[in-house]
Amino acid sequence: MTVLLEPLRHAWRTPRGRAGALVLLVIATVVIFSPPFLPDPLAQPDPIGGASLAPSITHPFGTDQLSRDVLSRVAVGGRVSLVVAVIAVGLSLTLGALVGLVAGYWGGVVDAALMRVVDAALAVPRLFLLLLVLAMSERVPVWALVLLIGATGWFGTSRIVRAEVLRLREESYVRASEALGASPRRVIFRHLLPNTLGPLLVAATLGVGDVILLEAGLSFLGLGIQPPAPSWGGMILDAREVLVTAPWAGLFPGVAIVLTVLSANLIGDAVRDAVDPRGA
Amino acid sequence: MRRWLLHRTAQATVTLAIALLLIFFLMRLAPGDPLARLSEDRPLTPAQIEALRARFGLDRPVGAQFVSFVGGLAHGDLGTSIQYGRPVTALVSERIPATLLLGGTVLLLNFTVGVWLGVRQAVRRGGAADTTLTLLSLSAYATPSFWLGLVLAWLVGVKWHLLPAAGMEDPLLDPGAGWVAHAADVGRHLVLPALTLSIVSIAGTMRYQRSAMLEVLRLPYIVTAEAKGLPTRAVIWQHAWRNAFFPVLTLFGLWLPLLVTGSVFVESVFAWPGLGSLAVGAVGYRDYPLLMGTSLLAAAVVVTASLVSDLAYACLDPRVRFS
Amino acid sequence: MAGVVAANSAAAAHAQSPDPRSTVVIVTGGEVTMPIPTLMEGPAANVANSEIADHLFLRLANLGPELITSGDRSFVPQLAKAWTRRDSVTLAFDLDERAQWQDGVPVTAQDVLFTLERARNPAIAPRLAELLRNVVSVTAENDRRVVFRFSHPYGEQLYDAVWHVAPLPAHLLDGIPPAQLRQSSFVGNPVGDGPYRWVRSVPGQFIELAANERFFLGRPGISRVVVRTASDPDARMNLILSRGADAMDNIPPPLSNLKRMGEDTEIRLIPVPSPTLGFLLFNQRDPVDTSRPHPVLTDRDVRRAIILSLDRTLLVRAVYGSYGEVPYGPTSAILWIRHGTPKPAGLDRAQARRLLSSRGWKDSDGDGVLDRDGMPLRLNLNYPSSSGARQQMALLAQQQLRQVGIDVVLRQFEFPLWSEHRNAGQFDIDFSATSQDPSPSGLTQGWSCGGGTNAAHYCNPTVDSLIERAIGSSDRAREAWHAALRQIEDDAPAAFLYAPSYVYAVHRRFGNVTIRPESSWLLLWKWTTGAPAARRDAGY
Repeated sequence: MTVLLEPLRHAWRTPRGRAGALVLLVIATVVIFSPPFLPDPLAQPDPIGGASLAPSITHPFGTDQLSRDVLSRVAVGGRVSLVVAVIAVGLSLTLGALVGLVAGYWGGVVDAALMRVVDAALAVPRLFLLLLVLAMSERVPVWALVLLIGATGWFGTSRIVRAEVLRLREESYVRASEALGASPRRVIFRHLLPNTLGPLLVAATLGVGDVILLEAGLSFLGLGIQPPAPSWGGMILDAREVLVTAPWAGLFPGVAIVLTVLSANLIGDAVRDAVDPRGA
Repeated sequence: MRRWLLHRTAQATVTLAIALLLIFFLMRLAPGDPLARLSEDRPLTPAQIEALRARFGLDRPVGAQFVSFVGGLAHGDLGTSIQYGRPVTALVSERIPATLLLGGTVLLLNFTVGVWLGVRQAVRRGGAADTTLTLLSLSAYATPSFWLGLVLAWLVGVKWHLLPAAGMEDPLLDPGAGWVAHAADVGRHLVLPALTLSIVSIAGTMRYQRSAMLEVLRLPYIVTAEAKGLPTRAVIWQHAWRNAFFPVLTLFGLWLPLLVTGSVFVESVFAWPGLGSLAVGAVGYRDYPLLMGTSLLAAAVVVTASLVSDLAYACLDPRVRFS
Repeated sequence: MAGVVAANSAAAAHAQSPDPRSTVVIVTGGEVTMPIPTLMEGPAANVANSEIADHLFLRLANLGPELITSGDRSFVPQLAKAWTRRDSVTLAFDLDERAQWQDGVPVTAQDVLFTLERARNPAIAPRLAELLRNVVSVTAENDRRVVFRFSHPYGEQLYDAVWHVAPLPAHLLDGIPPAQLRQSSFVGNPVGDGPYRWVRSVPGQFIELAANERFFLGRPGISRVVVRTASDPDARMNLILSRGADAMDNIPPPLSNLKRMGEDTEIRLIPVPSPTLGFLLFNQRDPVDTSRPHPVLTDRDVRRAIILSLDRTLLVRAVYGSYGEVPYGPTSAILWIRHGTPKPAGLDRAQARRLLSSRGWKDSDGDGVLDRDGMPLRLNLNYPSSSGARQQMALLAQQQLRQVGIDVVLRQFEFPLWSEHRNAGQFDIDFSATSQDPSPSGLTQGWSCGGGTNAAHYCNPTVDSLIERAIGSSDRAREAWHAALRQIEDDAPAAFLYAPSYVYAVHRRFGNVTIRPESSWLLLWKWTTGAPAARRDAGY
């Protein structure tokens, strides 16, 4: 447990880590606590006259094409989007790292088998798999969706991790550790994993943005968050048709996503610096 | 090495075959019917639907359909598109040049500009440029490509009138004009879609390259090399970067299929006649033959790219060994 | 790429370089792949193909300005210069002697015979054969006279004879077996008798047509027509605004698009009645077991209450602005029978609540949703995610119905899935939209007991016989159709929501511009051009 907490504590000490944590805190606070004070995100007070209004005192983020308040939709939508993104990305990262480490370290048949599975998985369009899920069950609950996104998003990461491991396992300190009789588990988790944190963290940061937008694309299929429930990705897709005439409808959820990605990156950088055995 | 290559190629072929099988059956298991789309404009009677079903061979069992697909494949015949009524091979080959052009340009920009920027960021870590580029790249990556595309199309194409807003060729350009004029025409149309895709993906390349470079720059032997008085440029590119390009090489292998899958959003916003929009249209119509054609192409490139990546690892870093 | 283009590029393209001033570039959403009348089966029977086919191939006669499909009088001569009715089941057409194919061969009765024979063959053209099922025989009395015989007297005999398929050149296609027609060179280089001839096609991008200078009805004012493809509406609008195109069909919702296009002073917005009809279809069968009646919606008063709870005028205004109407019965803006119908019912929440209450629906647990015997009044509403207009309206309708205590759950599906659910009857309310033919006889598809698209299994034999009577009548047909519409409205099988107009955008330099509702660019050859468009970007 301390292994996990130590780096976090280190990260907090750096200005970057603090900045990232702060941004995340602000987002979380708004998303968790503000909705009761904001208008109903589903309410359409005046679809003719109140649609696509520019930001003002009554509507700090403006209104969308159906006269719904954008600020409250960003706040409420954030709940779903953040949870889905964090869990799905976490799942993808874990699976990708595991497979990459195992394949890269063991090599041989294990590597070949795993990587061929990854190849086949990359060759089959994700869309087909998702449509198949729809065939099997009418309504797909959010948790199933999260698992689905996570379970189909790790292939690229595993390749990247494996590539690093292929290079790293020839390093002298790894060889030395093996010669001293260290178990594979020790070598992997003590020597290899920390050095693959770099790409893993990049994958995490970029993955968050990917997943949020992916979720929106899924609702197009009938999976994912269904209208009228708001989600950041969904709002961006909906705002596409008013991009030029009412940019605020898509701008604010977009900024929310960017801020989330940024804070994830800052925190991730700080954590990686803390974990790196050779220091900054 | 040669034995390994032989084994690896055999594996790739088997993987491709399995992937094709999976794609074929998944496609048909998915709900939705190719003939459903026909009722959109003009409703069909059940008799008409039956007749069309027979015409497209959809009334036979799935296994039989697969067998005839494979049979056709052996002759280089991918069947006839339900949506267009034309041979799939013709449709796909018509769109390949456009897709290669766009994908190729994006990949080129990515792995030159993206790599260079990522390395620069790592070398001047913490500076103003690094922070700005980090912010810009993350914002760019988190921006949906269609957004960026729409904004560019509107600003550069409509408002400022600098470049064409959509399409790949100017229909009013005289077909007899020389190849220079044609090339310039296509080039002008290529700028905005390529820029859109590049901005979004370069961000990713930069992040991976920067991260990998940072790792390597901390290594003792790099510090030693600098102390020895070698010019920084040599240290960066000949020593450090050689160890830092693996993730980027992997990324290249992962993005190589872009050459044939195209990008759906960018192609639709800029009316770029690529394979991406063809494939998506095929999904919406459940146009099985066309879908198999485009998927086959993409799957082949994915499997090949993986093979080429592995080969590259082995060749470029002599320490890497596959058992 | 260039090689493919060169192969298609006829030598004629170089023979006379068209005057750049009289070129029109149209941008559409669909790709033109098979603009040949009898070959447009299946997905090829789309709007893009049929509209371009209308440039190349002439019909015997066109619909008149009022789009009346019944009777013999309201049609405009094209290939046929005149027609006579010999008896209640026989029509004779006299072809115009001046009509000729673009290779110089005159158009004769043989061409009509040849084409109709293929079109009436269900093995070759199932869709056309179905539409032409009432045609018993087509014979030629001489080179220029064709006689149609029908199975029984009915109002739309002339419509059936002239509208569904345009004659093809027998002298070029006679020797080709029907099954091989698709692969023939004719498909890549069609030869027609219309105001424009085929020049070239650049797949995925555009096609080019040039004026048929010897067109017998008059020399076309526009010498070159280019039709570009851009499936994305934003791309189409950007092309118009940047002068990469001169005309586009249908500026789609939302209203901000209309505003954006309207701000460009060089573009003229032209509203045209559209064949689109949108409606909420109430399932009369139980979606769980389609052999049983629907537990809630078989009750006509509940259906009426739902209709009264909707502010349909607001729905139309929110999505289509002033370019749409609430229809009476299943009538789109293109149907001539819609003139003179009563006004559709408006919003009346009080009456809706009364109706529901009288049928036992009360809010006994105070949660805002009506219930009966412990079951809440909750209905699923299916719509395809591909339709932005339907999504917007569904969201608005959901809120409106909530105010009366009806809980509507929205379910959006990818198009093929939505279609599958619809055809299988797996819905409570289906947000349907159709594209209607100019003939009201198409109503049998959706609203008669055995109708092919009647997914809700709505069945009222009275309506069936009223529709049949209307189809059969030649004079006083409109009154007969109105009787059918009134009965349908009375039964309330659906809430008819919108019959919009399409808003076309055409550059102002073109004069005498008429857009036809049944085929947009039919009269394009009569357009005129003034000064060239101000191409601000002289670079390209």
